[in-house]
Amino acid sequence: MSIIAKSSTCVLIQGITGNAARLHTKNMLEYGTRIVAGVRPGGGGGDVHGVPVYDSVAQAVAKHPMIDTTILFVPPKGTKAAALEALNAGIKTVVMVAEHVPLHDNLAILEEAEKLGAITIGPNTPGLISPPERTKLGFVPSQYFIPGPIGVASRSGTLTYEIVSRLTLNGIGQTTCIGVGGDPIVGTPFPKILQLFEKDTETKAVLLIGEIGGTSEEEAAEMVKDRKITKPVFSYLVGRTAPEGKRVGHAGALIEGNRGTIESKLTCFREAGVPVAETTADVIRIAKEILKS
Amino acid sequence: MKLYEYEAKEIFQKYGLTIPKGKIVESAEDASRFASQIGGPVVIKPQVLTKKRGKAGAIRFAFNPEEAFRKSQSLLGMTLNQEQISTLLVEERIEIDREFYVGMTIDYSLLKPVAITSPFGGVDIEEVAQEMPAMVKKVRFLISKGLTDQNLEEQVSIFKSTEQTLMKDITKKLYQIFRDYDAEMVEINPLALTKHGKAVVLDAFLNVDDDSLFRHSDLVKPRGMSQDEFDFEQLLKEKKWKYIEMDPDGEIGILSSGAGITMAILDLIKMRGGRPANFLDTAQMDAEGIYNAFSLFSENTKLKVLLVNIFAGLNRCDDLAMGIKRYLQEHRLSMPLVVRMIGYREEEGKKILNEINVVPIRSLEESVEKVIQIAKGVA
Repeated sequence: MSIIAKSSTCVLIQGITGNAARLHTKNMLEYGTRIVAGVRPGGGGGDVHGVPVYDSVAQAVAKHPMIDTTILFVPPKGTKAAALEALNAGIKTVVMVAEHVPLHDNLAILEEAEKLGAITIGPNTPGLISPPERTKLGFVPSQYFIPGPIGVASRSGTLTYEIVSRLTLNGIGQTTCIGVGGDPIVGTPFPKILQLFEKDTETKAVLLIGEIGGTSEEEAAEMVKDRKITKPVFSYLVGRTAPEGKRVGHAGALIEGNRGTIESKLTCFREAGVPVAETTADVIRIAKEILKS
Repeated sequence: MKLYEYEAKEIFQKYGLTIPKGKIVESAEDASRFASQIGGPVVIKPQVLTKKRGKAGAIRFAFNPEEAFRKSQSLLGMTLNQEQISTLLVEERIEIDREFYVGMTIDYSLLKPVAITSPFGGVDIEEVAQEMPAMVKKVRFLISKGLTDQNLEEQVSIFKSTEQTLMKDITKKLYQIFRDYDAEMVEINPLALTKHGKAVVLDAFLNVDDDSLFRHSDLVKPRGMSQDEFDFEQLLKEKKWKYIEMDPDGEIGILSSGAGITMAILDLIKMRGGRPANFLDTAQMDAEGIYNAFSLFSENTKLKVLLVNIFAGLNRCDDLAMGIKRYLQEHRLSMPLVVRMIGYREEEGKKILNEINVVPIRSLEESVEKVIQIAKGVA
């Protein structure tokens, strides 16, 4: 078992005829992802690596009613329209890889997904990968991942590869690794992901790769503290020494207060009993300790 | 993109909000000329992006043109939070009865936009929120529905009943600005209520989401910078790279891709006693990018060493190594170079670097150790 990306997941690729989409469609197919259709607005017909291309999401879904997931290889300007199209066609999981999607667009997508009971991942994410299921959604480089008991959620793409490749080298495999997205607004922040991993029988422990800013780490810590999450959770936090973001205006401070700082995150994790790795090497040590017990 | 106060005010005025009579000036002569036009006391406000003007004492009052001249002269050329003051906004002084706060931003925890109002505006609004939380009203709303009448009712409920209609109107207008300008944050603080019951925007703040600028071409104009700086900024903008100068006395430059790994490297260096000077985070590295990035770092003569971190997942080690090779063949790098390289086509990349006498290191920790030794002069 894994979360979100499973061998049974039936995938649509929006914007499939772009260069990056073509390349990653091929990579995903080779890895084992079940991609059944692609969309190019107003340019359907033909195929990409054997995947049929349609004019619209509605057409693709009509032909392939089992589609339950879509990956948007669409530029940031077009992400909102593409995501709303997918959601309104009844697709329940939307992965948005684009970076630089406007904030207000992002909020609108999130509201629509919530209304329709769908989940969105990203934007600004390399996607996710479930090694036991041989399924990846997005462009995570699969060579660094092996099946195993750890669930990983991360706010940063490249740091995930850095950390997970070390887990893999040490023989510690993963159920699912998910890039939740680097933007301040993402569809599945840490608390949501923790709930999914909690329900997944194969996941024995969860690693959260977090960073300064936002309050996702604090909320995750609260869930552990309140025993809403019973599986062991550990974390690696970066940005301990990063220059403080220069926030202007009071509105942000009025909302977040002191949350979001490294001190706040460390305190919340400590109070919840979540071990926090100080260095990359530390992550492996903690993972081994948790798996031993 | 943060707008200057006068730019934000121009926009606010278009939406029917009242701003004080004012003029943008770049010389003390013009400031005094405008003061005499006003014929009464004026406020002189430096146009800088930092918000600490008030607390830094950089907002000055003048009662006559002569005083306006003197005070403007002392402000011009001053530096505030590393920003040189070159432009002043001279405004008529408003007789304030009370000061309110109205703002809108995004609650990143609840993932919803939020409107905030308070009958106690001014520089101490954060303390008000701490000490009298009931006096700062926060209303979360849906972006698809906008601020509904019900939202507005709740929003203004902390104001006197005689002020509620006015505050509803102003909050509505601010909301329209928030939406139309894809604002990350929009704020009036303070909103002055005059003795005659008029509401005047004393200070205006508007931060437009950078990722939405394609919808706001009217806002994108070059700002007063020298030609060199402009090109550099332009390159960063085009590539969407993040370049941050951290420490003017730092010794280590860092070139890496991805905010997460870059922060991890900064942490490692600092924990081991090193001093990062600056870093460049290229979202996705390619041969040309690495070449361009090298030229940015070589200009910083204070750097004692440059660390390049390559973790090739989607890109290729050999391709990036070619970028380094090309730069080093065409230019002299003014500082020692440490390359950490791992990932796709690593062996091929290593061969290319070896040709130019660079020996890449596989381990991140070892590469960090190495740059610290070089910076300390022990390697």
